[in-house]
Amino acid sequence: MSSELTAEDFSPARDLSQAERIVRPSLSYWQDAWVRLKRNRRALASLYLVIALLLFTLLGPLLWTQDHTLQDLDAISQGPSLGHLALVVEDSANWPGVSGAALPAAAGAELGAPANVAVEGLATTQYVRLTWSAVPGAQHYLIYRNDHAPESDQDLGLPLGQTFTNEERSFEDRLQLREQSYWYSVIASDGLIEADSFTTREVAVQRAITYSQALERGFEPAVGERVMLPSHPFGTDYLGRDMLARIMEGARVSLFIGVVSPLLFVLAGVVYGGISGFFGGAIDTVMMRIADFVIALPFLLFMILFRISFGIGPGESGIFPMLLALVLLRWPDTARLVRGQVLQIRGEAYVQAAKMLGARPSYLIMRHMVPNTLGPILVTLTFAIPMAIFTEAFLSFIGMGVSPPTPSWGSMSNEGLRTMLSSPHELLFPSIFISLTVLAFNLLGDGLRDALDSRLRSRE
Amino acid sequence: MLIEAIALRKFFPLAGGGQVHAVDDVSLGIAEHEVVGLVGESGSGKTTFGKTLIGLHDKTAGSVRYRGATLPAVYHAADFKRQAAEIQMIFQDPYSSLNPRMTIFEIIAEGLRVREGLSLRATRDKVVYWLERVGLHADHLGRYPHEFSGGQRQRVGIARALIVEPRLLVCDEPISALDVSVQAQVVQLLAELKASMGLSMLFIAHDLSMVRYVSDRMAVMYLGSLVELGPAEDVYFRPLHPYTQLLIASNPEADPEHERNREDKLIEGEIPSPVDLKPVCRFAGRCPLAEERCFRERPVLREVAPGRLAACHLL
Amino acid sequence: MSDDYALEVDHLAVEFDTYGGIVQAVRDVSFKLRRGTTLAIVGESGCGKSVTVQSLMGLIPMPPGRITRGSASLGGDELLGISPQALNAIRGKRVGMIFQDPMSALNPTMTVGRQIAETLIVHRKLSGTAAREEVLRLLHLVQIPEPHKRMAQYPFEFSGGMLQRAMIAMSLACQPEVLIADEPTTALDVTIQAQILLLLRELQRTQGLSIILITHDLAVVARMAHDVAVMYAGQIVESGSVDDIFYRSAHPYTLGLRGAMPGNDPDKKALRVIPGSPPDLFAPPPGCAFADRCEYAMQLCHRQPPPPNFGTAHQSLCWLHHAQAPASPVTGMLQVAATQHSPEGAC
Repeated sequence: MSSELTAEDFSPARDLSQAERIVRPSLSYWQDAWVRLKRNRRALASLYLVIALLLFTLLGPLLWTQDHTLQDLDAISQGPSLGHLALVVEDSANWPGVSGAALPAAAGAELGAPANVAVEGLATTQYVRLTWSAVPGAQHYLIYRNDHAPESDQDLGLPLGQTFTNEERSFEDRLQLREQSYWYSVIASDGLIEADSFTTREVAVQRAITYSQALERGFEPAVGERVMLPSHPFGTDYLGRDMLARIMEGARVSLFIGVVSPLLFVLAGVVYGGISGFFGGAIDTVMMRIADFVIALPFLLFMILFRISFGIGPGESGIFPMLLALVLLRWPDTARLVRGQVLQIRGEAYVQAAKMLGARPSYLIMRHMVPNTLGPILVTLTFAIPMAIFTEAFLSFIGMGVSPPTPSWGSMSNEGLRTMLSSPHELLFPSIFISLTVLAFNLLGDGLRDALDSRLRSRE
Repeated sequence: MLIEAIALRKFFPLAGGGQVHAVDDVSLGIAEHEVVGLVGESGSGKTTFGKTLIGLHDKTAGSVRYRGATLPAVYHAADFKRQAAEIQMIFQDPYSSLNPRMTIFEIIAEGLRVREGLSLRATRDKVVYWLERVGLHADHLGRYPHEFSGGQRQRVGIARALIVEPRLLVCDEPISALDVSVQAQVVQLLAELKASMGLSMLFIAHDLSMVRYVSDRMAVMYLGSLVELGPAEDVYFRPLHPYTQLLIASNPEADPEHERNREDKLIEGEIPSPVDLKPVCRFAGRCPLAEERCFRERPVLREVAPGRLAACHLL
Repeated sequence: MSDDYALEVDHLAVEFDTYGGIVQAVRDVSFKLRRGTTLAIVGESGCGKSVTVQSLMGLIPMPPGRITRGSASLGGDELLGISPQALNAIRGKRVGMIFQDPMSALNPTMTVGRQIAETLIVHRKLSGTAAREEVLRLLHLVQIPEPHKRMAQYPFEFSGGMLQRAMIAMSLACQPEVLIADEPTTALDVTIQAQILLLLRELQRTQGLSIILITHDLAVVARMAHDVAVMYAGQIVESGSVDDIFYRSAHPYTLGLRGAMPGNDPDKKALRVIPGSPPDLFAPPPGCAFADRCEYAMQLCHRQPPPPNFGTAHQSLCWLHHAQAPASPVTGMLQVAATQHSPEGAC
């Protein structure tokens, strides 16, 4: 290891050119913050989530072209599903039904059950047409439907109706038919009580759409053929509208309000707080008391007042009053924050130095104060967004926000409440989206605050 | 006199009533091409004096004359602009005296804003010149303050102040936050700039030993008043006022033998608070030589030897 | 050998992970603190002196920091790499520490008396009353006037000097063997600094305290230290007794520091300045870290780091002590100059 040391090695070599050298790469405030943010995995994940949500909102409708307003009353409250094949059937004309002469009662005999129950034509989701043979002594017949085989006469299921006369021996069921098996039971009645026995028939119902409906949806149908109905990955709502398309549209509404209103009220707050903090003294005191007053106003009350005074007419979405209310009532928080920052920066030496160099107040504010408050302002903005989204969702949920048919995650959640037990997906999807969005922005805000909060570390 | 403070007073009102007598009747002048060192401990009012002198604080009473003209009692942006090419300042804390979001180039070039109409090229040339003049490199221009050490940042602050080539530079404790070896760098730089530019300076510090290397005259402040004023060497080696003597004696020296053998002459107690001071000698409570008169009557700053002023009844 | 030394540190190295890479804050530090004396570690900001003592006390967050090498022995007991519980038992009890800014070391929401009492109750298991008595005694020891009144006050009611005294009292509460003082007077006025330094010397005399004093001010070193270690860029470049360092300076950096000190010599009209700034430890230079700023630098200095010399009480990390080196102000200042850089001449 020890090499020969020559006289050359010991010759003077004084070299001051490197005396003030800086070696590390130079990073500006934002670059430094970005590096820090990237290292925070949770924040990075939430950033990706936010970007995904934005893409979902903006690009989604381009890729998923279903119309969110299209109602399909044959497909209400369906769970998430892929496309189904459906049979094209003729448009249903009025069905006269089947009648026949009534049979008189057999003397002394009990009321029996129809000899058989039959289905006329195809059993489809459009209609199921039942006919049965007459029961002697029956005054009318009652028809029940169940989704399993009835075990007793208490278990016949949903009462679909009864015939009016004792000559009618048919019934057309159009009630919310799904593609599954039903057990229809026909039971005779003598006008006072029902018979003890009944006849049941299992019917397998096929999915079908009418010729006209198929035309409406852009198919080129031929009766008797099958067509592929569109898939509903998120299911349909209580009016048969595709949930995914509605969620996308709701995303637009929610994010519009959720992003635009914070931008506006943060901007207002920055200007207000900046002026207040910069001038200080009496101006500051007055301005801050006004801000205190605004904070003290009850938000919900004012929201409702705005709504009413703007008078939502038919066809109006209610977005504008909500936007207005959010902006007018939420700016003081940012104003206070910015004012505090400005007050602190005002005393810093570099501001005094700029003053000494003859800078005007506008220059001092724009060049020195604002850039140094951008960090906290950005963090405030990132936290304001989920707050606004949640406020909008909440208000729509209680019916004080955007009005139908404009979809919003909040109003969709409200609608989903009704069918919470039977078709939970209607409530689940909008709520999940609200939660995810709010969570993502909050985590991102956390990460940003950590990344930007570092007073840039110096060498020492 | 280039700049002269006449009976300058700066009081701060306290929230619960009462006033902080930060600067209490100080008269001090700085001549052309002269460096005056203003020394004092915390609470002496030296920084407040410096800031009030050039308009960063409003004057409570008294006046300041610059080249014959009286400066405004309260400053607005236009007043600063008018004075920017003549009077500049460097600050104490290297960590907050530079805007962390601006590059070194932008920070130094800010000084040139006073002179509008300078082309980008000319600006850059000037900035590079001054950057190198204070001992840094042109390739530091694109970097940010946090990448530099305290001493380097102070030098950037000096470049920023001097790029407009002022006549008077007020230095507000520029070395207090630095290591001793780095203090020497800054003091040497200022001494060299003074010699080559003929700069006048008010050098505010709390340590006489460093200040005397760059000062022509030195002034010592205690609790808002001047207690001694005279040529730097004289004040340092032959101090007259008891406070100055004790201040110098408290300073350890880089000589172990000397330190082993010297007596411990200390000032007892703490610096009292400068609130609602009475018209008596401010130092009497801690002065080992205090007499009865010192507690009754406030001494006046007067010439006690040729060129030497002191405020003490015992001289 | 451990009886003579209160604390021994051997070849300590500490590095930090930063976004740009690894910073070698402490590169190879060894020193010994003789019992009952003061060792001053002196150097500019960024040289690693604070990191050194903080890593001994486990105060460095361990990511991003990392002790890569070395050992530290407190009267025979190892300090590095021990469990947090073991370290807790030592910290405060056997080693006390005071910092530059007492305001941030004290809890602003607790009275000073209570904070000191806390240490006593936890470490020395004193009862409430006994603790209170001891607090009074300690406050008296550090010469805080009116200790009864001061005990019940909060930190913000104390001045800088008073706070520093209170912090000294707190660090002495458990009668430690070693006191580490990290720039204790840097933020204080010079008259208050004199008082605090005097207090520390008195305490050393009466309590038999061994002190490690960290500072950047050579004058404070001259006043307080028995032994000195001069630190630069993460290494100890010179070490020895205080007289060695001041009267027989053996390293150009030490000479530079002394030249930059103001003094009472009327003939010294100007300060001699070390040009430039310390290197960034993110990428330490290949040779001697001081070569870029050294007046006497040689070709070799830029290429190879100088070897340590063994066997002398006064050590210097400099090529100028090599037999082939030309004459310089540091030549011959070491009692025994190293001639090889092989370890054969070791003690």
